[in-house]
Amino acid sequence: MFVEMLPAIAFYILAATAVGMAFMVIASRNPVHSVVFLIGTFLASAGLFVLMGAEFLALLLIMVYVGAVAVLFMFVVMMLDVDFVEMKQGFLQYLPIGGVVACILLAEMILVGAASLVNPGAGVKFAEDGTSNIEAIGNVLYTEYAFFFEAVGLILLLAMVGAIVLTLRKRDGVKTQNISEQIARTREGGVELVDIKPGEGIGS
Amino acid sequence: MLYKIILFAPLVGALIAGLLGRRIGDMTAQFVTTGLLLLSAVLSWFAFVQVGYGGETQEINLFRWMDVGDFKANWALKIDTLTAIMLVVITTVSALVHVYSWGYMKDDPGKARFFSYLSYFTFAMLVLVTSNNVIQLFFGWEGVGVASYLLIGFWYKKPSANAAAIKAFVTNRVGDVGLALGIMAIYLIFGSVHFDEVFSQIADKKDLVVPFLGMQLGAIELIAGLLFIGAMGKSAQFILHVWLPDAMEGPTPVSALIHAATMVTAGVFLVCRAAPIYEAAPFVSGIVTIIGAFTALFAATIGLVQNDIKRVIAFSTCSQLGYMFFAAGIGAYDAAMFHLFPHAFFKALLFLCAGSVIVALHHEQDMRKMGGIYQLVPVTYILMIIGTLALTGVGIPGLGGFAGFYSKDAIIEAAYAAGAAGHNAPAVFAFWAGLAAAAMTSFYSWRLIFMTFHGKFRGDKEVLKHTHESPFNMTIPLVILAVGSVLAGVIFYDQFMLYKDTGFWGQALPEGHGKHKFPLWVLWAPVAVTFAGFVLAWSMYIRANGTEKRIAAGANGGGGIFYKFLLNKWYIDELYEATIIRGARKLGDLFWKIGDIKIIDRFGPDGFAAAALAGGKKLSKLQSGYLFHYAFVMLLGLAGIIAYVSMKAAG
Amino acid sequence: MQEFSFGQLSFLAGELVLALSVGELLLIGIFVSKYGASIVRYASIAVLLIFAFSGFILNGTGSAFNGAFISDDFSHYVKALIGVTAAITLWFSRDWLKRENLDQYEYSILMIFAVLGMGIMVSSGNLLTMYVGLEMQALALYVMAAFNRDSLRASEAGLKYFVLGALSSGMLLYGMSLIYGFTGTLSFAQIAIVLSGQESVNMGIVAGLVFMLAGLAFKISAAPFHMWTPDVYEGAPTPVTAFFAGAPKLAALALITRLITGPFGEISQSWVQVLVVLAVMSMIIGAFGALMQTNIKRLMGYSSIANMGYALVALAAGGIAGVSGMLIFMSIYLVTVVGVFAAIMQMRTRDGALEGIADLAGLSKSNLPLSLVMTALMFSLAGIPFFMGFFGKWFALTPAFEAGLTWLVVVALLASVVGAFYYLRIIKTIWFDDQAHTFVKAPRSLTLISSASALLLFPILLLPFVTAPARALIEAAAASLF
Repeated sequence: MFVEMLPAIAFYILAATAVGMAFMVIASRNPVHSVVFLIGTFLASAGLFVLMGAEFLALLLIMVYVGAVAVLFMFVVMMLDVDFVEMKQGFLQYLPIGGVVACILLAEMILVGAASLVNPGAGVKFAEDGTSNIEAIGNVLYTEYAFFFEAVGLILLLAMVGAIVLTLRKRDGVKTQNISEQIARTREGGVELVDIKPGEGIGS
Repeated sequence: MLYKIILFAPLVGALIAGLLGRRIGDMTAQFVTTGLLLLSAVLSWFAFVQVGYGGETQEINLFRWMDVGDFKANWALKIDTLTAIMLVVITTVSALVHVYSWGYMKDDPGKARFFSYLSYFTFAMLVLVTSNNVIQLFFGWEGVGVASYLLIGFWYKKPSANAAAIKAFVTNRVGDVGLALGIMAIYLIFGSVHFDEVFSQIADKKDLVVPFLGMQLGAIELIAGLLFIGAMGKSAQFILHVWLPDAMEGPTPVSALIHAATMVTAGVFLVCRAAPIYEAAPFVSGIVTIIGAFTALFAATIGLVQNDIKRVIAFSTCSQLGYMFFAAGIGAYDAAMFHLFPHAFFKALLFLCAGSVIVALHHEQDMRKMGGIYQLVPVTYILMIIGTLALTGVGIPGLGGFAGFYSKDAIIEAAYAAGAAGHNAPAVFAFWAGLAAAAMTSFYSWRLIFMTFHGKFRGDKEVLKHTHESPFNMTIPLVILAVGSVLAGVIFYDQFMLYKDTGFWGQALPEGHGKHKFPLWVLWAPVAVTFAGFVLAWSMYIRANGTEKRIAAGANGGGGIFYKFLLNKWYIDELYEATIIRGARKLGDLFWKIGDIKIIDRFGPDGFAAAALAGGKKLSKLQSGYLFHYAFVMLLGLAGIIAYVSMKAAG
Repeated sequence: MQEFSFGQLSFLAGELVLALSVGELLLIGIFVSKYGASIVRYASIAVLLIFAFSGFILNGTGSAFNGAFISDDFSHYVKALIGVTAAITLWFSRDWLKRENLDQYEYSILMIFAVLGMGIMVSSGNLLTMYVGLEMQALALYVMAAFNRDSLRASEAGLKYFVLGALSSGMLLYGMSLIYGFTGTLSFAQIAIVLSGQESVNMGIVAGLVFMLAGLAFKISAAPFHMWTPDVYEGAPTPVTAFFAGAPKLAALALITRLITGPFGEISQSWVQVLVVLAVMSMIIGAFGALMQTNIKRLMGYSSIANMGYALVALAAGGIAGVSGMLIFMSIYLVTVVGVFAAIMQMRTRDGALEGIADLAGLSKSNLPLSLVMTALMFSLAGIPFFMGFFGKWFALTPAFEAGLTWLVVVALLASVVGAFYYLRIIKTIWFDDQAHTFVKAPRSLTLISSASALLLFPILLLPFVTAPARALIEAAAASLF
């Protein structure tokens, strides 16, 4: 009995954690705390994925979002000297009206969810039994979804170009190493033989 | 091809002079317009012979204009005798006026503009007379209206000229409403705007009755009446005549061309063109007769006492147009057109002579300040006498005379014949009014000659020193017109009036009444009253320095009530001012101040604009620049749309 | 399951050319230092033009990658417009970028990326294709908006656009996941099959559709998802704004058209309401918001909001008539905005570029040709009869009227009356106010483009739209969706 209820119990715990953490992200005063709560939200979501049997997505979430994005956030928060307290001062002021709209949206989403109980729709077909997540993804990623894969690759290239355009600055007067010039240097260019007459020194 | 050149040569001239006038210079503009019009005039005479004597009528479709459902109108040339006569009159007088203007407008800075307008007017007039449907006729009708407006107000820096131009335009508009309604009625009743198609159906629709302004009127009578209102406006008939005297503010060549020879005869042309309609509308024809006869008389009485040389001639024009109308009203369309033809020549001659005098006296138009200059301007003097003889219709029945003798006597005889045929009271009235007007015509014409050329000079002596005869380019057109004034009657009488034998009119006019035998007194009466008028004028203005005495009497406020009544043109202008104009202004004020500003503007454009601006300001305020405001609006919109759609889906 | 064959690649030949040339041009840009930017620019223009006409030249209709990428008359026509507009805006941005010290080769690369994204959007036959295309396009546009990174306003514009764009992407994704959840498929064709089998429309699908349309409405700056528009239009460098105003709008509209005719064609009752709401709000906010503006770029931002409203009116009418009405309207609109921005970029004195409406005062006295061009363009935007803008609105509103959406047409007419006010105000400023500035001589590319655009808007050149072949092209494009 209890074993049968375990997934349900786990779901409620994880879901409650995710919502609570998400609220704390926007509610906490210290931005570093916010980022930590964000990581908590990601972890709880990853747990939900595992519950649904999508272990690959769960690991991906942890690796990408916790390992990369959240850490990047942390760096940004700590390196930029932004007065977050001041920025958040408007927060409470807008809380009531924002809360009303949020509640309306939530109610609408619940209605939509309730509608799905009445009319479940076509549903999603899962991979056949016996194939793992990774195997299933691997089967389609480079075949059926090759086009999307390539397109997403282009988006990454674009992101890189964009980042460089917006941040890289070419500054004059910066001494940088020019390897080809170094290698192309010859004895003729580097050494000068001067015949020094005695008693005159090398000053001209 | 011939007719296309006649029609479009003036347009080409007008465009060249109007659009390129500044670039090519005044001289070239004058040369081009005048040359093209001379070409047009020569070809017109050729066409006249071809049509009138050769009987070659034709219709040339230039191109399609409107084709909406049943409503079809083409740009076309309808060439018959009626058109040919008008072509000759228009192009000849116009060409001569162009030549004359070389001298008259010599010192004017706007020469290219002037010639462009003149040529444009000629084109519009030609479009009017060559149309084969009422729509094209209306186009030409409005075209000449515009040209008239532009030319009356040619000296646009002169306030009186501007006022006169507006007056002419507005008065014509009243007539044009009639014409436009007439055109609509024609289309409504006949389903076509094409003359020939309309005329062929008249017999079928004779008894049709249509409601109009709450009355039940015969369809044909209604159309005839509406068209005549248009004709009254353009031809300055009584009630709508007020603009013509004021139109004399324009340059004199314009007065000669537009307000004597051509445009003002458009009304007569319209009635003659629509002759089949008027034949079927006896009641309206009676009205036309009465209005025409009354105008002939009325304008002549005013002409008796005017002091402005051009105004005398203007009222004379008005009066002569009255003759033409009553001739058309009694069914003598041939006589009306016959009078139109020489009248164009001698009236243009008189105007241009007057212009010559005016130039000679340094733009003095008041006859009270002229006198005794016949030795200084002998050519003008002689030509003006010829014009006057033609206008007054001097001649001896059975032997011959000047042009007016033939044409005016033809009208008076026709009126007598129509009256004698019985049951035509308007014709009887017209006959007597015509005789009386003939006497007055003679009087005021000779009065004009005597006051201008005889007696002592009454103006500034300095002016007299510089007075000289006009140059060649002004006198040569006068001579040509004089020749026309003398000979037009003799040469064309048989053609115009005895067409039964010659077939001159072809299908252009309905069957005429033929040649009657008149009692001897009818033939001699016009000559007699003309002579009486001359004698009276001589006795009043030449004998014993009559002119000076009369002017002195006028200056002292003498002259009696009747004299003042005539001098003030029967107080018609004042009457209009007191009733229509002031009333319209009050009504306009009411609509403007209360209706427009307080109601329409306040709740319409102004109110809307204010609300829009306020809304715009609010929106700008909402656009705060804060990111979270923007995101909030997006979410709000999303929630709203979902709520809206699910509510719709729920029912 | 459709077998893959290399023949299918011809359907995306244009996109392939763009994708491959991006790599080459990047290398050229990096290693050719002196004329690198110019070479890349002209090569990019060539590539964009090839992209524009590849569809028409190869003229293949079909789909690739299991229906994920569709090539039909509709995509050919829309891509041709997008490619040509992008090439033109790239061409005339040269002078402006040089003067502002921004002439970098990356600009052209980003433009190609954006157009590539739009191409994928227009051809998408699958929710994933659609999303990938949209993000590629959006990412390129975010960077372009902030391209002038030393300008505070441009950075602010880029950041705002990015953050709000991310929010809209979130909405779009959420909607897509709802659709996927309730239909079990990503393919447009499969979704249509699933929906046509259902008796009543599932609430989840309706909500998903609304979310998706909201995300797309952001891209075409339809109210109430328009808030970024004025700020970004004003802050972004002018050539970028010129680009923003045209091609991306058309691409997103084409995507909406694909959605509502393809997968959701069966449940029109669900989306007509959404489009009507978006159209009405856009027209009203666009018309009234512009009234108080003093910056001409900002004004054009509101103007584009209003114009998207008219395009949505046509789409709301649905059917071939509605789609072809939208295409005609957008074709004319693209011609107009390209001209308007080419004209705006000519507003430059020795001290730099100007953007105020007041700076146009008395332009007729100093620069008559530009005044005439501007007047024609504004008349066209205002929809004065016998300029093309009038016919654009005519074709956009007629289908809606015939579909029974009379009150929507009335709102559109009222909005265009209000709109006419601020267009005419510009004309009034140009012709009747006292002269404010004398502009420096504009480069030939700008004068050429703006005059060509103004000339194209004269009604005599409408003939090809009324008769063959452009009209036939549009009709065929619209018909290919049904």
